[in-house]
Amino acid sequence: MFGSTEMEINLGPQHPSTHGVLRLVLKLDGERILDVKPVVGYLHRGCEKLGEDRSYPQAIVYTDRMDYVAAFSENLVYVETIERLLGVEVPPRAQYMRVVLAELQRIASHLLWLGTHALDIGAMSVFLYCFREREQILDLFEAYCGARLTYNGVRIGGMPEDFPEGWADEARRFCDVFPSRLDEYHKLLTTNRIWLARTEGIGVLAGDVALDYGVSGPCLRASGVDYDIRRAIPYSAYPELEFDVPLGSKGDTYDRYLVRMEEMRQSRRIVLQALAKLPDGEIRGKVPRRIRPPKGELYHCNEGPRGELGVYMVSDGTETAYRCRFRSPCFVNLQALPELSRGHLVADIVALIGTIDIVLGCVDR
Amino acid sequence: MSPDTLKYVVVPLIQIVVVLNVMLLAVAYLVLLERKVIAFMQVRLGPRRVGPRGLLQPIADILKLFIKEDITPARADRMVFFLAPVMIVVPAVAAFAVIPFSGKPFTVFGTEVPPWITDVNVGLLYLLAITSLGVYGVVMAGWASNSKYPLLGSLRSAAQMVSYEVPLGLSVVSILILSGTASMVKIVEAQAAQGVWFLFWRPYPQVVGLFLYFVSALAETNRAPFDLPEAETELVAGFHTEYSGMRFALFFLAEYMNMILAGCIVTILFLGGWLPVTFGVLPAGPLSTFLFGATLTGLFWFLLKVFLVLYAYLWIRATFPRYRYDQLMRLGWKWLIPLALLHVVITAIAALPRG
Amino acid sequence: MSTVSRPSLSLFRQLLPVELAIGLWVTLKNQFRPHVTQEYPKERPELRPRFRGVPRLRDHPDVEGPLCVACNMCADACPDRCITVVAQPRAVGKGKAPKLFLIDYEKCCLCGLCVDPCPTKPITAIYMSHDFELAKQRRYEFMTEMTGLYEGHERTDYEK
Repeated sequence: MFGSTEMEINLGPQHPSTHGVLRLVLKLDGERILDVKPVVGYLHRGCEKLGEDRSYPQAIVYTDRMDYVAAFSENLVYVETIERLLGVEVPPRAQYMRVVLAELQRIASHLLWLGTHALDIGAMSVFLYCFREREQILDLFEAYCGARLTYNGVRIGGMPEDFPEGWADEARRFCDVFPSRLDEYHKLLTTNRIWLARTEGIGVLAGDVALDYGVSGPCLRASGVDYDIRRAIPYSAYPELEFDVPLGSKGDTYDRYLVRMEEMRQSRRIVLQALAKLPDGEIRGKVPRRIRPPKGELYHCNEGPRGELGVYMVSDGTETAYRCRFRSPCFVNLQALPELSRGHLVADIVALIGTIDIVLGCVDR
Repeated sequence: MSPDTLKYVVVPLIQIVVVLNVMLLAVAYLVLLERKVIAFMQVRLGPRRVGPRGLLQPIADILKLFIKEDITPARADRMVFFLAPVMIVVPAVAAFAVIPFSGKPFTVFGTEVPPWITDVNVGLLYLLAITSLGVYGVVMAGWASNSKYPLLGSLRSAAQMVSYEVPLGLSVVSILILSGTASMVKIVEAQAAQGVWFLFWRPYPQVVGLFLYFVSALAETNRAPFDLPEAETELVAGFHTEYSGMRFALFFLAEYMNMILAGCIVTILFLGGWLPVTFGVLPAGPLSTFLFGATLTGLFWFLLKVFLVLYAYLWIRATFPRYRYDQLMRLGWKWLIPLALLHVVITAIAALPRG
Repeated sequence: MSTVSRPSLSLFRQLLPVELAIGLWVTLKNQFRPHVTQEYPKERPELRPRFRGVPRLRDHPDVEGPLCVACNMCADACPDRCITVVAQPRAVGKGKAPKLFLIDYEKCCLCGLCVDPCPTKPITAIYMSHDFELAKQRRYEFMTEMTGLYEGHERTDYEK
């Protein structure tokens, strides 16, 4: 505007809508975005390095704190990798319990996403309504393992404790109320012309481009690629459960919104099925006292709420892992942000950050 | 003291003092009302700690703003920086000079006091002109800050305000056609004479007019869903970034004052002003004298209606997302102006039989 | 798999702001629902039985002295290495008792891994209490040794 047309602005680490400490360097031409450069690392705590000095059961607490919104999925993928390395069999009751909790965690994570995304675009009330529902899920988690955010709710070989008395009924009560709440969010947003104007056609990601970037999770499925790890590489009790995997067609922000809303509905369906099919039995398999997996390496992934959450573990036969690398979905999805935002206006950046659903703890570890 | 001095100098002075003070207090409590109403809609409580149930919160807010440090940017144009808040607040307050709060004058110490400060026969025109002056203040604020982003923000705000003046004016034109006068008092009296609020006017109820005016007023006052220029989550900061303390308070004061003003104008033009809520049908005879005869009852109905309009403002803010700036301008120019023109034409045709 | 359907609106609904009115109705309905605010500290949260507050010790139910046998399993399991135990022979009865049991509450991440390996049955010597309001003025005050590790301490009053 004053002479040159291109300018570089900094959407600094402290900003109300960057969902954590994300720094974006925007290259603008007037109001059009030419390029976006995410600068990450402001929340790097060295979790993986710290984990190298801890034994396998001790390092679970670090997984809680990486993706703190979907902590249970992180716990689960870490523990499942160790179980596969050890060759331990997990009893069926523990498998079903894990599925119930993982799907509840998915609903909670998507509710947080919806609330913050809507808040960034201006619909303030949806944020509060989503958190009201999320409170109920966090109460369920508190009743089960004692914490609301950093669960530590899986043990190697099974689960720490069984569900308390009345937990299944409370979970069912939540599932009964939830569809009407989802309908409320739909009424507030889905056909709202302002919402449509802000999200339709914004941030289109073609299917093949998404695959090139390594995007996974709802972002990938909204672009039309049918890849859900619960179906593609089934783990835990998923092969025995029936659910639909929603797919989008255009790959824009609106599609990603619709896909995640539908995923919440399907997660609720899975929770009800798993609660109904919950077998009796023990909750912890036979695991040695000191966990010493044999020498070897393994990559295992599961479908976290944000995408493919993977653990690559290298064990050298001792009590601590030689290297445990976490493939974080947010870090990989964030790569697609420049692609999504090219050609859009500055005001769309907040919508785009919201739609790829990043949690900085997961990006930075 | 001659009766003329009394009527034209003393009484208006006292009225001005009263109206000014009441409006300032009203603005402060409107802020609290907004926080509480939006909180209740979001299933939470608003401010609760200060005073009983949070009722002293505005006092705490005002005190806080008073004692904040008054920072002036180093390279800013001092005169313009000082004048900008003034240029925004003064038009907002000055517009209240022509708003009638009730219908019947009352007598105090032998003098007849009308419940309005003055009643010019071009009241509506005066209002439109005065509120347009507010744009000056916005541009001055952005300019004086001597910083890229407030300047951009203020230009966007100014462009938004100017473009939405057009549908605003056109919806007011339809009222002019129906009432035949531009004096605010006579517009309400015309509604009383025709026996129906202009909102429910037959054969063509002015619903579209109300909608147009309300949406334009939302855009004029930079309220949701048109508050992109001042939203917190946006990149380009608003025009009031560089202001702190009392100067910042003045901007906020002006915004809420404009909100109340828009509520008052909507009530007078479309909802019958101080006329009672009898669903558009006004009884004649002694009942009507009772219902809108006294000053206080007129004031009560007026305030009730203004409250409802303000509630609608808050309700909309709690519900809808924000429009992007270009979508906002497109809405104003491509949709509202043609709609407003069409509305004026239809109103004119519908008003033909009456002459 | 199922493709999400993008809703298609009739011309009527596109021209008239019907969905805006529906959205307004939702917000209005919620205004009359009970609020979810918990006015802390006047209203304290209702904690579930398994809530993980800070770890605390338990006394032996029959004999005088702590239940803990100073086996060091909890200190081993802790990821933050915040527990220090020094053993001594028990005064009454067989076995060991802790001479020094120190937990650094500043480091403790409330994970509960110390409770799992505790060998005393049926109730464990170390357990996760329901205390979470532990603000202190100085850093060193967080190093809590045995006398501070039992429950029943004066709760900090946050009203003031």
